[in-house]
Amino acid sequence: MLKATNLKKSFGQLVATDDVDVEFGREPGEMVFIVGPNGAGKTTLVNLLTGLLEPDDGNVVLTRTDEDGETVERDITNMPPHERVKAGVVRSFQVVHVFEEMSVRENVRTAVLSEQDLLGSAFSFSDEHGGVEALVDDLLERFRLDDQQHVVADKLPHGDRKLLDVAMSFALDPDVLLLDEPTSGVSARETDYVMETIVNVSKAEGVATVAIEHDMDLVSEYADRVVALHQGGVLGEGPASILETDDELRRVLLGVGA
Amino acid sequence: MVELANFAIHTLNGIQYGFILFLIASGLTIILGILDVLNLAHGELYAVGAYVAFSVFGYVSGAFANPEGFVGLATFLVLSLLAAVVAAAIMVPLGLLLEAVFLRPLYGRDEVYQLVLTFGLLLILKDMNKLIWGPLPVRAGDIYSGINRIPAAEFVGLTFPTFKLVIIAVGAVVVVGLFYFFNRTKLGRIIRATAIDREMATAIGVSTDRVFTLVFAMGAFFAGFAGAMALPQSNASLEMGANPLVLSFVIIVIGGLGSLRGAFVGAMIVGVLSRWAVWQYPPAEIAAPFAIMALILLVKPNGLFGTWGETA
Amino acid sequence: MSDDDHQSLKAWGRRSYVPATTTRDGDRYVRVSRGMVLSPRRIAGWLALLALFVAVPDIASLSSSIQQRVLHQGVLFGLAAVGLNVLLRHTKLVSFGHAAFFGTGAYTAAVLASQFDVTSMLLLLAAATLVGTLMAGVIGFLSLRHTGLYFSLLTLAFGQLLYAIAQGQSYLGGSDGLPVRPGEANRATLFGVELSADVYSVVVYYLTVLVVVLALFVMWRVVNSPFGNALDAIGQDRTRAQFVGIPVRRYVLAAFVISGIYGGVAGGMYGLVQQHVRPEATLYFLRSGEILFMAILGGFGTLVGPLVGGVVLVFLQDVGRDFTNYFDALTGIVLLLLVFGFPRGIVGSLQSGSRLRAAVSTFSDDPAIVGEWATEAWTSLWAAVGRARRNLRMLVLGVR
Repeated sequence: MLKATNLKKSFGQLVATDDVDVEFGREPGEMVFIVGPNGAGKTTLVNLLTGLLEPDDGNVVLTRTDEDGETVERDITNMPPHERVKAGVVRSFQVVHVFEEMSVRENVRTAVLSEQDLLGSAFSFSDEHGGVEALVDDLLERFRLDDQQHVVADKLPHGDRKLLDVAMSFALDPDVLLLDEPTSGVSARETDYVMETIVNVSKAEGVATVAIEHDMDLVSEYADRVVALHQGGVLGEGPASILETDDELRRVLLGVGA
Repeated sequence: MVELANFAIHTLNGIQYGFILFLIASGLTIILGILDVLNLAHGELYAVGAYVAFSVFGYVSGAFANPEGFVGLATFLVLSLLAAVVAAAIMVPLGLLLEAVFLRPLYGRDEVYQLVLTFGLLLILKDMNKLIWGPLPVRAGDIYSGINRIPAAEFVGLTFPTFKLVIIAVGAVVVVGLFYFFNRTKLGRIIRATAIDREMATAIGVSTDRVFTLVFAMGAFFAGFAGAMALPQSNASLEMGANPLVLSFVIIVIGGLGSLRGAFVGAMIVGVLSRWAVWQYPPAEIAAPFAIMALILLVKPNGLFGTWGETA
Repeated sequence: MSDDDHQSLKAWGRRSYVPATTTRDGDRYVRVSRGMVLSPRRIAGWLALLALFVAVPDIASLSSSIQQRVLHQGVLFGLAAVGLNVLLRHTKLVSFGHAAFFGTGAYTAAVLASQFDVTSMLLLLAAATLVGTLMAGVIGFLSLRHTGLYFSLLTLAFGQLLYAIAQGQSYLGGSDGLPVRPGEANRATLFGVELSADVYSVVVYYLTVLVVVLALFVMWRVVNSPFGNALDAIGQDRTRAQFVGIPVRRYVLAAFVISGIYGGVAGGMYGLVQQHVRPEATLYFLRSGEILFMAILGGFGTLVGPLVGGVVLVFLQDVGRDFTNYFDALTGIVLLLLVFGFPRGIVGSLQSGSRLRAAVSTFSDDPAIVGEWATEAWTSLWAAVGRARRNLRMLVLGVR
């Protein structure tokens, strides 16, 4: 479980994150959507949680259950991004970040090698680790990318690029996965396909997933819980149904009932 | 008391040298900050400026080789400054040509190619100077000998060569002019906007092509001007471009990438400190600027005024 | 993914073994070693290249026009370029100060030989490598906080700092440099054996061949390893590399140090070969430019390209010196041609799918195409000149 307490961040005069308390991954496979108008501080929050930004105040704690069934708490507030990834907090970006000159397979392999702590090995061949290759095959299949595994990433259609990005994140064996607008830039026809694939895998693997999303239909369909941000603070949270029932939320998010 | 006078003289020398360095570094830093091009041929443009000034001044100064009296000396000074301006002006079409023919096709390509290209231009320009002016250094001292006849300026008990004071004055005018241009004029602001966000600048109707051309021409102009201003106190030689180029890098690193203010402060630091080094411990002269650079990097990785340096 | 799942997936992993000869797309390939499957033609090519290297002293003794020394120097600078290529090809960092490590290696050998009378060739070489590595650690630490042009600029400045030090210190011989002539015979020894002048040059040459082959092999292993994969990842998308859990700063520093090792070895060998080390010839920033240029000339997308580039460039400059006073401009023109015509370099252009290949096949189909190409080049040059003229008019007369 990823828990932020009193998280604050401002850029000059602008308070981007104002005293936010949130919890993600209360149960395995929980699918949480962060919603809110532009400038509500959604991306800043994800950046703070994943280490791209350091907060001015507050802390971020990761709780996980180790092999003996004991609960271990780690304060990761000032941990650099790559260590957070190792600790189990993984993210994707609104703009796809994949290794453009590598094939789909090589992209996924890089992530798997990293997860297996093999990237430091300078005297083995990248593609000779049998266990790694099997994991890569499995991930490619789950994300329905196996047909295109030899295509170079920058030649891939946009929807598949998004999936590749998420597949790489899953390859890192996360406890909590944060996705910054996984459907942005994806054509309307493909959004369902992309979101469904993500939700299926995260449910099957029990990965707590957090996604920033603007498409309220997708949110209603897939959310276990919704966190609404407004002007840097938490405006409300609860099951997806609050999007229908909470008038203030509707006013801010949809401009309805003003 | 003598010590203090020496200190003042060397400091003044350093300031004068600093202005020359700023003239060179300003062109380089403008091009780097706005075009995202590290122009390795910049030092050669400086050398070309010096050579051209030599020829221009040599041509017109026949009558003034031995200036006499106040009028003669004043004419000599004005002519030498005019020669510098002419030399710098000649750099403008050269800069435009280089930009249009060679650099333009490379925008947006891997930056290693523009390094190779400007390195190639460096080699070609160097041999061009060799072809036109010969392999031996041209002795500027002969045609600029009138400089020695100008009475040294005297104030508060110090004597200091007038021409160096002129350089300081001219340098100060350029500094003020550049800051005014970039901060107060519309064109200057447009150029800065282009540096910050090219796409946005295009979106609001700025022709980035024109801005790039203009900026490159400006860079070439100041490189040539610096060469011409530095000439009277030294010789024009084939190797003269290398040192200013590298010192400009040091200045940019000290001042911070793309910061004109940083370039000015960096140039002054390097100029004054290296003159102090010459005075106190001559072997340190070459190494001193680099040592300062390393120190500043350790304390401020982005340089004194840098905001554009990318950090990992 | 849960841990259980991971275990079961790991159990699926099975190694596939490739037979000694294999067929891909109807062509026969030979499996030379793990991870190296080559077509018979390429194997023949590699063997021929190796044979050529080994035979150079014989060829040189037969023909006076080919100087072993020139080739030797090319190979050594090329080796430094192979090191530089770790940064250039994989992490996409353009180091413009690689002469620093070359020079450090060369000067280490020289100082030990002339000031401490160390005679053992291998000791000199080992020390050169070690000090070059340390230097790379220091310079890397200071410059790698930055990327892009700022990084290039920093490496160049640090390289020039070393040049300034070598120039200024009388202990290092100032601009005259230092000799590398230890012992009574004025030459380094191998396993305590003193060698006569002729034998020395041949032995040093074969030592170089050995070092180069070994260095290439090691580099080949490294770039195909997961570590090389990580460096590629860093070069292609730094942010993503961090967020797949790569400690970017540490890895890039490691890559920088590796490239420095190659520079140090090459510089140490250079000291042994030339028996005299000068700041101008080893540390000057134009040497850094040349090392970078060698990598690009040979093809920085390939493993051996930089080595080929090194040999070709040094050879070209040597021939150019005899041929014209303006060999610098000649080099410059080659650079321009390279940037605009063959951005993938010599080796890269010979590979399949390159522009050169395509051009050659078009040419053999229809030789008259040359005229078209010339017209095309002329038109675009003329257009550029016209643009420059228009711009000038605009600058002078203002926008109308």
